[in-house]
Amino acid sequence: MSANKENNLIQAYVELNKFCQSSDYERALKAAGKILQIAPNEQKAFHCKVICFIQLHNFKEALTVLSNAKNASLASDLVFEKAYSQYRLNCPKEALETVDGASELTPALKELRAQILYRLEQYQDCYNLYRDIVKNTTDDYEDERKANMSAVVSNLAALTPTADLP
Amino acid sequence: MPPPMEAVPCKPLFFDLACNFIEFPNLDDKTGVANNKKQGAGITG
Repeated sequence: MSANKENNLIQAYVELNKFCQSSDYERALKAAGKILQIAPNEQKAFHCKVICFIQLHNFKEALTVLSNAKNASLASDLVFEKAYSQYRLNCPKEALETVDGASELTPALKELRAQILYRLEQYQDCYNLYRDIVKNTTDDYEDERKANMSAVVSNLAALTPTADLP
Repeated sequence: MPPPMEAVPCKPLFFDLACNFIEFPNLDDKTGVANNKKQGAGITG
């Protein structure tokens, strides 16, 4: 890469970083696009582009760029983003397949997997997974997670009134 | 005559917590900040 091009790239990333930090997703999307025009193989710019689409609730476009065969190597690490887009597009089956195809079940994928199982009405599996997540997580969303667990339990109770529930 | 009142279960609340993991990657290595930090650490020991 020529020194000039490299310099341009750094400048473009500085700009992108600024918009990312101010959560200006429209401008960040443009900045990421600019980088990918100079250097189409920039994985981090591609990652930012996908995050922008998702934050702008354009899940369809996020999934389109992630599924494009041309972007296969750029998208290979963005399993969570792909599954989340599928989940938001009301394709929980596909989302579950994506999650289960990941090489490692990260905390993010675990959280998403539980929500997908809920959407698929697989409440027993969902409940077991939430128990595991609650046991191993300390964050600011413990109350919300407990609310989700309650929702799972009440659905279990509605389906099997005789079951021995927590 | 309206039918008699009947209790129905309400739809439970369910939060999307996975959305909190939708984050931008760290760009320090791309903006040159990482290099500056390293040098800075060198100067201050």
